[in-house]
Amino acid sequence: MEYANTAIVLMVIAVVAFGLGLAFAGLYCLNKAVDQNRST
Amino acid sequence: MHVIPQSWPHLHILVSVFPSVGLVFVLGFYVTALLTSNDVMKRSCLVLFVILGLLAVPTYLSGDRSMDLLSRDPKVSQDLMDYHFGWGLAALAVLVATGVVALIELCRHRRAGQLSNDALHLVLGLALITLVLMIVVGELGWQINHHELGLARTPRGTPQAWSHVHMILNHFPTVGFVLALGLYVVALVMRDTVMTRSCLVLFVICGILGVPTYVTGNASMWALTDPPIPGIAKAVINAHRDMALLMLFGLAFTGVAAWIELWRFRHLGRFSNRSLYLVLAFAIITLGVMAETGHRGGQIAHPEIRVATDILPTDPKAGWSAAIELLINNVIWFVPWQTLHFFGFSLVFGTALAVSLRVLGFWKSLSFSAVHRLLPLGVFGVVMNVFSGMLILQADSFRYLNEITFVPKIAFFTIGAIAVLYFSLSERLWAVKAGEDAPMSAKWVAAVVLLSWAGVITGGRLLPYV
Repeated sequence: MEYANTAIVLMVIAVVAFGLGLAFAGLYCLNKAVDQNRST
Repeated sequence: MHVIPQSWPHLHILVSVFPSVGLVFVLGFYVTALLTSNDVMKRSCLVLFVILGLLAVPTYLSGDRSMDLLSRDPKVSQDLMDYHFGWGLAALAVLVATGVVALIELCRHRRAGQLSNDALHLVLGLALITLVLMIVVGELGWQINHHELGLARTPRGTPQAWSHVHMILNHFPTVGFVLALGLYVVALVMRDTVMTRSCLVLFVICGILGVPTYVTGNASMWALTDPPIPGIAKAVINAHRDMALLMLFGLAFTGVAAWIELWRFRHLGRFSNRSLYLVLAFAIITLGVMAETGHRGGQIAHPEIRVATDILPTDPKAGWSAAIELLINNVIWFVPWQTLHFFGFSLVFGTALAVSLRVLGFWKSLSFSAVHRLLPLGVFGVVMNVFSGMLILQADSFRYLNEITFVPKIAFFTIGAIAVLYFSLSERLWAVKAGEDAPMSAKWVAAVVLLSWAGVITGGRLLPYV
């Protein structure tokens, strides 16, 4: 039971970190691309 | 399974959606062209009206031949077919008139070098009359073969209204997508900015409409299989559902790629060729998946389009959808996706709140373009929620879809997601500098966005309790 709970917590952290990581990285990259294109 | 029609009813099913549902989208483009006074778009739409007028011929011929075939089926009402035929004839006649006026105007344009406003408005009027007639024709047409729509709801069954809604709704992201792709290629060749932006907007709208289409499709599955209806096999529905899931992701990829390009264009005032061709690549792949999805959907309740070589699936437990249902019911998969779904809502609502509050008059020290930079975060939140939401739905779709708050949740999602497009399209809003007030129309849109997303969250949260 304890093992199952740990596995769920790890899965939650992994999936959420992956999802949010992609979202914020996407936002950063898009804004950076806009800034770079403006300066050229 | 064969996708190329080999019978008159099959051809009629395929071709008849263009003069009806397709007309809605052509009219949308046409009105945009008139409002923006864009000549390339006006001429492209006139060409489309001519093509739709020409499609009246195969639509009439295939319908006429299908009547011969269907009149041998004792379940088909002859009166209903006669009504459909009569109204259909009137609608096609007005459609042909629309096409003829459009063709005359195109020829006149070649000689005179400019379009006449009177003729353009005449085309608009005729197309609107055609559309009204087509709504009647379409409704009568669906009733001919889909006897399941008239079945009463069983005490614990899913209402057949879902099947009806799905049957209407599924044609919008599909037919709209085909037209968007055709016009998009023209826009890329002609290098027309307004037309390119309009096509990108339509790709986004088709992506958004993919969600209610997929959800109503799931509900239709339950309406048609629990309790079972003779002649409708769950294995055939599952084969359609598997492809529909792929199509949903294809629509989402195309829609997000198109939205990002709209967002980028807003900031830079120019398109990136690489991004435009990426959207084109996504759209072409999605179109292929869409053709197979539509064909598998047609196989569910149209035995008349099947041919001897068609081998229909027989195992209701085969396919990805059934496998996902099993997998997501395991708590170790369900809880992480549900948590991600909540974070997705936080991103969407947080972004919508920040942008909407600026539009409503808060944080005037910032220009609108500054808060507009945040919008991709909300869109990524929507993508996260579409993906996680579809997985969560599979865990117990019968229960979710029969909850009273699920319908407003999906309706608010559609309204809220489409309304957000305004923030990347309005010229007046984009011009709002630091210290300036946003136009009143933008404030109304911001209020709709906030209320819609609050409705989505409330509808979802109430699911287990109402």
